[in-house]
Amino acid sequence: MNDTGRLCQALALRVHTGADPERLRRNLALAADGARLWVEDVPAGADSGTAALHRERELSRPADPRTGPGLRTVLLRYEDGAADLVVVAHRAVLADPYELAQALLVEPVRPAAVPREHGERLRTALAGLDRTEAPEWGLGTPGATTTGLHRFSVPADSGAPASLTLRAALGLVLARCTAGAEVTLGVDAERALTFTVDASATVAQYLEQVDRAVPATGRAPLVGLTTTETPEALTGEGVKAEPLAHRPFLDPVHALSVHVADDGSTVLGGVVQHRHSAFADASVAWLTGMLVTAHRALTGADPGTRVGDIPLFDEERLRELAVLGGLGRAPEVPDERIEQVVRAWARNTPDAPAVSFEQQELTYRQLVERGDEYAAALRDLGVVPGDRVGVCLERSLDLVVVLLAVLTCGATYVPMDPAYPADRLAYTSEDAELTLVVTESETFPRRDGARTVRPDELAGNGREPFEPADLPADAAAYVIYTSGSTGRPKGVVVPHRNVGALMHATRDDFGLGGDDTWTLFHSSAFDFSVWEIWGCLMTGGRLVVVPYWASRDPAEFAALLAAERVTVLSQTPSAFAQLMTADREKRVSDSVRLVVFGGEPLDTRPLRFWLDRHPEWACRLVNMFGITETTVHVTAQTVTRREALAGSRSVGPALPGWHLYVLDPERREVPPGVAGEIYVGGLGVAGQYLNRPELTAQRFLPDPHAPGLMYRSGDRGRLLPDGRLEHLGRLDSQVKLRGFRIELDEIRARLLDAPDVGAAAVVLRQTGDAADTAGARLDGYVVFRDGAAGDTAEVRQHAARFLPEHMVPSTLTALPALPLTPNGKVDTARLPEPLTQGPDEGAPPEGDDTESRLRAVWEKVFGFRVGPDDDFFALGGNSLLGVRLLVALRTAGMPSFPLPQLYLHRTVRALAAHLDGAEARP
Amino acid sequence: MNAVRTAAPLTGKVALVTGAARGIGRACALAYARAGADLLLTDIGDDLDGVPYPLGTRSQLEYTARMCREEGGTVSTAMADVRDLEAVRAVVEGALDRFGRIDVLLNNAGIAAPSGKTVHDITPDEWDLMLDVDVSGAWRMIRAVGAAMTAQRAGSVINVASTAGLVGYRHFAGYVTAKHALVGLTKAAALDLAPFGVRVNALCPGSVRDDDAAEGRMLTEIARSLEVPVQEHEETFVAAQPMNRLIEPEDVAGAAVWLGSDDSRQVTGSTVTVDGGFTSR
Repeated sequence: MNDTGRLCQALALRVHTGADPERLRRNLALAADGARLWVEDVPAGADSGTAALHRERELSRPADPRTGPGLRTVLLRYEDGAADLVVVAHRAVLADPYELAQALLVEPVRPAAVPREHGERLRTALAGLDRTEAPEWGLGTPGATTTGLHRFSVPADSGAPASLTLRAALGLVLARCTAGAEVTLGVDAERALTFTVDASATVAQYLEQVDRAVPATGRAPLVGLTTTETPEALTGEGVKAEPLAHRPFLDPVHALSVHVADDGSTVLGGVVQHRHSAFADASVAWLTGMLVTAHRALTGADPGTRVGDIPLFDEERLRELAVLGGLGRAPEVPDERIEQVVRAWARNTPDAPAVSFEQQELTYRQLVERGDEYAAALRDLGVVPGDRVGVCLERSLDLVVVLLAVLTCGATYVPMDPAYPADRLAYTSEDAELTLVVTESETFPRRDGARTVRPDELAGNGREPFEPADLPADAAAYVIYTSGSTGRPKGVVVPHRNVGALMHATRDDFGLGGDDTWTLFHSSAFDFSVWEIWGCLMTGGRLVVVPYWASRDPAEFAALLAAERVTVLSQTPSAFAQLMTADREKRVSDSVRLVVFGGEPLDTRPLRFWLDRHPEWACRLVNMFGITETTVHVTAQTVTRREALAGSRSVGPALPGWHLYVLDPERREVPPGVAGEIYVGGLGVAGQYLNRPELTAQRFLPDPHAPGLMYRSGDRGRLLPDGRLEHLGRLDSQVKLRGFRIELDEIRARLLDAPDVGAAAVVLRQTGDAADTAGARLDGYVVFRDGAAGDTAEVRQHAARFLPEHMVPSTLTALPALPLTPNGKVDTARLPEPLTQGPDEGAPPEGDDTESRLRAVWEKVFGFRVGPDDDFFALGGNSLLGVRLLVALRTAGMPSFPLPQLYLHRTVRALAAHLDGAEARP
Repeated sequence: MNAVRTAAPLTGKVALVTGAARGIGRACALAYARAGADLLLTDIGDDLDGVPYPLGTRSQLEYTARMCREEGGTVSTAMADVRDLEAVRAVVEGALDRFGRIDVLLNNAGIAAPSGKTVHDITPDEWDLMLDVDVSGAWRMIRAVGAAMTAQRAGSVINVASTAGLVGYRHFAGYVTAKHALVGLTKAAALDLAPFGVRVNALCPGSVRDDDAAEGRMLTEIARSLEVPVQEHEETFVAAQPMNRLIEPEDVAGAAVWLGSDDSRQVTGSTVTVDGGFTSR
């Protein structure tokens, strides 16, 4: 950045009398060497816009001592006889332009000379300032070379000097934005003040502390503040001139430089100049608003007020923030119960297909009839409205019917995944105090007072018909257990009304209707299934229940999408990544018109390959950030090529009826751009955890701007100035390693940046390794796109270019695919232990027996630790790797075998036994 | 993809235009003012021995300046002969003093005559004069702005050459030689200045009409050199230009604004022809 303007000052005076160019020229010649007086006749009056424009332009022209005298004087003469004198001077030449104006107009005295080395020192200081890294929260555009300018006005304090109160107020703003107590504030190019914002101090103590801070060199602050006092009017013989404007810098000295002119009036004019590379205009608008509010509050506060109680947002700005987060866009939502809406479709389109599974299909009429049949059976089993009924079923036709039947009874369903461990099932059954569980599992854990019933036992027409009662919409529809990162799983109680509101928020935008075919891909224990099942059946669509085998095999799933002409697909990004791979082999059905992403952060960049084959006008991609506690979804961001190319992290604005706040750890507002914790209010907030009043009170808090509660998500995010949310991962994905705070999601994003990397994961692994003092290290995993034979060393180099050393994973392991949980999210627990010896060496066998030696060869081929009972194909092995394994066995001097034997003996243990047996045979 | 295209692409920039009294120089100065630039305009303001037609006058230059001021620009004027090293240095110094920077240098000053002779009939004085104004004049200007532009790490020099810098014309050996040399100077200077973010390009207009408002008279002088009526000469050129009309001064100004603005930020060492397709034949 050219530094001339940053080191120039400019002063404009309105010369009422005494603007005689000849006299001014004579005086100038005596006061300064080589400088000229330029006279411009402006064809307009002194108070016209044209005059202001010309004056502004002269005030913004730098004077470079390297190409000229380093100062300039311009006399602007207006049509009405008035004139302005503008003096521009470089700090290496002249310390105070007012002195030169005085010399020109009043007495031709030569202003004090500036020491020769001063200019060089200032330039060095600027270079130091330019090395300060642009803050994330400034929302700057990397590489931008332009600057911005923002004017504001701030009421003055009658007591303390503005220079002090403004410093103190700006300190509060910066402390909030940087989430740090220590503030460094530039006062000029060379010097800065450092002080601490202690929320518990009093205003008086704080002001005293700021006042005591002494400007010191050696710091490179991001933000500078200059307060100037307006010099006196100049009068002399036949001369009367008054200062109009003083610019202590013409271009921003710091990444963001604030100037306030203290002219003694009750409202002071201020200007912020900023580099777009570090600060967006919208961010600066918010910052100045905060500065003005903080200043007003600080100067108006009782000296004993706690600093932490000084507001940085006035009521209007708070409201604006809330509206930005989506408040006030709630549509009128009728009080609907899920089963009532499904019944309405059964009346309106009784013969339309509702649910299909493999060869079976039910129309809406049949679905409701069978639901009533099951409901009658449940009633006869003692289920009454308000009860909770456990449902532990694989995806099937019966699953959907049973869920509908539970709701029809007025009861609440508690879904459980039959694939969950017995302990987890027992815990859920106990915690939810279930007395009845519908399951086909013979091994569902028994518990006193709880009975199980098979779905087929609910069928049959022999019972008294079920008479649906009139039930409230605020009753609970389901309780879904979420594990979270700490503590035991807790049941989230979600009312019917919330699900209705979700469909209201999305139906029109997504164009959901009777022509749509949805998949039920996810486990009923994962709330994405709530969206899939009821989203479909509440909009009259057809729900295709995906059999287990098809949900595990992307090619099979793709075939099902085509066969069933699926239009609405809901996927976790991890599962969709596999489907994209399948799409390259064989094109995924063009019937799919909407893909909804949920459950995990979405990396938008790889989606451009999908968009190449499935353009956005044919298939809309929508990234939805969601939380079980706020009814499946919170926001929606349509992902187009624009987002994919930018690698956008936006998850979009809040759904109509939902709203967001981003708050700091003290639960105070932060401006757009600044990251904080995401809070969610509105129609989706579940309101409670089952039987956990304390946890409920911790997580569901009164909404400050709307009736009802807001949910504290534990997710990090920031609002963008246009109201979209950027999701930045879990707050608890911040781990600590050797004292560093590390964001795992950030490392993952860098791995994903690397060429050919299609998927990535990073975990912090405790090693118990004595050599590693921390006993922990970062393990990274990548999946190369298209089966590219990528090089992890290159990925590491790429990551090391962007990440500080402590954030570069200690190991990087290439995997054929990332292991997924039953919910389709990355299963970090199943990521294999990496080899730490280096990529080509492999660990030496632990023993001399066949099994140990075989295991060492396997590990060399896979590149990570292998257990004796790990299945070759489950580890990601394929026939190609099988061939490599045979070669490696030969190299290691071990007996070979025909490849098909690997399909029969899929583990190290089994294969070793087979080889030993084969050797033993003559 | 963060380029910001504004209606006034030269806002905040300062342009120095030589030969600004009339013709292409005047049209370019006006276009620069409209594009938001402040201007230092210069012309010779005197006739030259050996040039058989009157050159730009002080009055014409001030008229150009007045029109530019009406567009909102701040404009200074200075008289200078580009053959005079000291005068050129003073012009540049004055521009820097007044405006603090020079972003665009439009080397437009040039003469088309003495011409109209077979190559071996040109006198040594005629030959020297042509090269001194049309090539060396541009070099003197570049020499004078070089330090400021390289210090700024930004700048755009535009040398107004001609299609005569790309192809030959009968009976114009001096002019053709000078303009070819100017294109050569453009390429060499572009390489020297590229490390400093300073760009140098040549702008090659075809036959530009003698517009009344611009008071241009190149075509008239060329016709006179060739001893043909202007009307006939114009018709010959219209027929030779595939776009089937003569170039207007504004057509050249459009390219000059683009080359001066950041929109052409990766264009350097190039020749931009505005010739209605003439040299594409």
